[in-house]
Amino acid sequence: MSRMLVFSAQVYSIETIKKAAYRFSDVLAIDIVPRLGEIECVLHFLSGSQGEGQDEAIIAAFKNEVLDQDLRVLISKETEAIRNAVLAYALSKTELQGP
Amino acid sequence: MSKFQALSAYQRPSADGYQLLPFRFTPLNDREYVLTNQAGEFTVLDRQTLAAVVQHQLPPTDRLYDDLKSKHFIIDRDSSVATALLALKVRTKLKRLSDFTGLHIFVVSLRCEHSCPYCQVSRQSDDQLAFDMSVETAEKSLALVFRSPSPAIKIEFQGGEPLLKLPLIRHVVERAEALNITQGRDLQFVIATNLALINDEFLDFCRNHNIFISTSLDGPADLHNANRPRPGHDSYQRAIEGISKVRSAIGRARVSALMTTTTLSLGRVRDIVDVYVAQGFRGIFLRPMSPYGFAVKTKWFKAYDTDEWLAFYFAGLDYILELNRSAYDFTEFYAATILAKMLTPFEPGFVDLRSPAGIGIGAMVYNYDGDVYASDESRMLAEMGDKIFRIGNVHRDRYEDIILSDALLKPIEESFATSVPMCSDCAFEPFCGADPVFHYATQGDFVGRKPLSAFCKRNMAIFRRLIALMRADDEVRRIFVKWANSRC
Repeated sequence: MSRMLVFSAQVYSIETIKKAAYRFSDVLAIDIVPRLGEIECVLHFLSGSQGEGQDEAIIAAFKNEVLDQDLRVLISKETEAIRNAVLAYALSKTELQGP
Repeated sequence: MSKFQALSAYQRPSADGYQLLPFRFTPLNDREYVLTNQAGEFTVLDRQTLAAVVQHQLPPTDRLYDDLKSKHFIIDRDSSVATALLALKVRTKLKRLSDFTGLHIFVVSLRCEHSCPYCQVSRQSDDQLAFDMSVETAEKSLALVFRSPSPAIKIEFQGGEPLLKLPLIRHVVERAEALNITQGRDLQFVIATNLALINDEFLDFCRNHNIFISTSLDGPADLHNANRPRPGHDSYQRAIEGISKVRSAIGRARVSALMTTTTLSLGRVRDIVDVYVAQGFRGIFLRPMSPYGFAVKTKWFKAYDTDEWLAFYFAGLDYILELNRSAYDFTEFYAATILAKMLTPFEPGFVDLRSPAGIGIGAMVYNYDGDVYASDESRMLAEMGDKIFRIGNVHRDRYEDIILSDALLKPIEESFATSVPMCSDCAFEPFCGADPVFHYATQGDFVGRKPLSAFCKRNMAIFRRLIALMRADDEVRRIFVKWANSRC
């Protein structure tokens, strides 16, 4: 069985959708097709992943995961410089390298 | 007039608002998310609040504001030292990396007089002398051990049954002690033995050299003997008598025990814990079976799935918490290791729960035939015919060749969780590990697809349960803090 979902390309990036799709690769195989202003996702349920009412729950969880991934992108962009600074400082005097 | 300003004086809204510090989030349940910062400190928020925080809508007067600020999830103009403090915490967590390899495992013989169907090391019958380590191999291995810069060196003797090669163990211990006179390391020895072959000579040796004993105890007699057959069907009796003799000879704290969960264990976790309590142990490590050796050949590894093991583990954890509530201090050691990561500034260094992976960096294995492996599991895989994690040979290779070999560096680099799909944005990553050997054994590559990973499923479930338990009950939290500090 398959289902199609359409996300606005103005709201979500392809990378966001791909990351969410990867997380569901145990229950879904997902075709991701960029269209003008939209990202179309065709969700194929893998055999054994569906029970009674499970398909709707999986779709809802996938939509929430896309939202989560979008939020993660916001955090990642805002904190990139400080993340690198913290790591640089943390690793700076640990004697990991020889003289 | 008060010496101190009112609280409101410290809650002045910053004109610039606040800035996010790096953090990751993962669902805890249907409503809430776990957030972890770079140093692994965590908090739990509902989705609406999480979104408000990320969108800079959290007012400074909100109680959560100070909490997030103190735990280094956000920063404002008022907290200029926060970045340096966070970096210091990250650095403390990474400290073990600079120490490098502390655990050195000598496989002195593959021979064993037990014939356990779940044996993960593919033991040989006790007349097969070709599977013994020679003195020359032991000497060369020892030379490599002391090339590690680690200030603490633990040499662990494993098998098969290592007591079948007691003269070689004696030689290695005495040589290591002699070398350490000039090296000055914190040197410890552990013998992993089933205790079936101990005698007074062995006990004297252990006492004279401060040796620790690690043994196997799978539960009540019927369960233990079914898991661990030997001539005479008396493995349990010998283990119990051995524990008692070792304690009398060298001290109570010098012997510890490990259990392995088999399909026969499922549904009997209380019985298993009760045996440990009856024997006076103060904790247990509830271990799943690993996908190596005879455990795979005999299909014992696949006899139960991750869900069944988790049900077993959580029932055990609940029972152990009951014991603690009734004032009997008893620890589940796997939970304690994870809790040390969650609740203390330190990294306990458990090889399976490290990223970069603990292979080579945390442990090295010197096999009976001179081959060097990156971990105990790596040599178990090798005995099944796959030597992909063989990183060198003590007779042919220099220390530098071994440590810088592609066989070691490639799996460490590829499996580094910070850059692995799904792990890279998982809030549980600071508590978890890479374990390239498990993923290679089960999925055929060092990284593995995490949605299909039993390692990921098992550990995510445990992280969630531990956090849920301590949030629901202050007494459990107090118990967990005690466990966490016991592992540091």
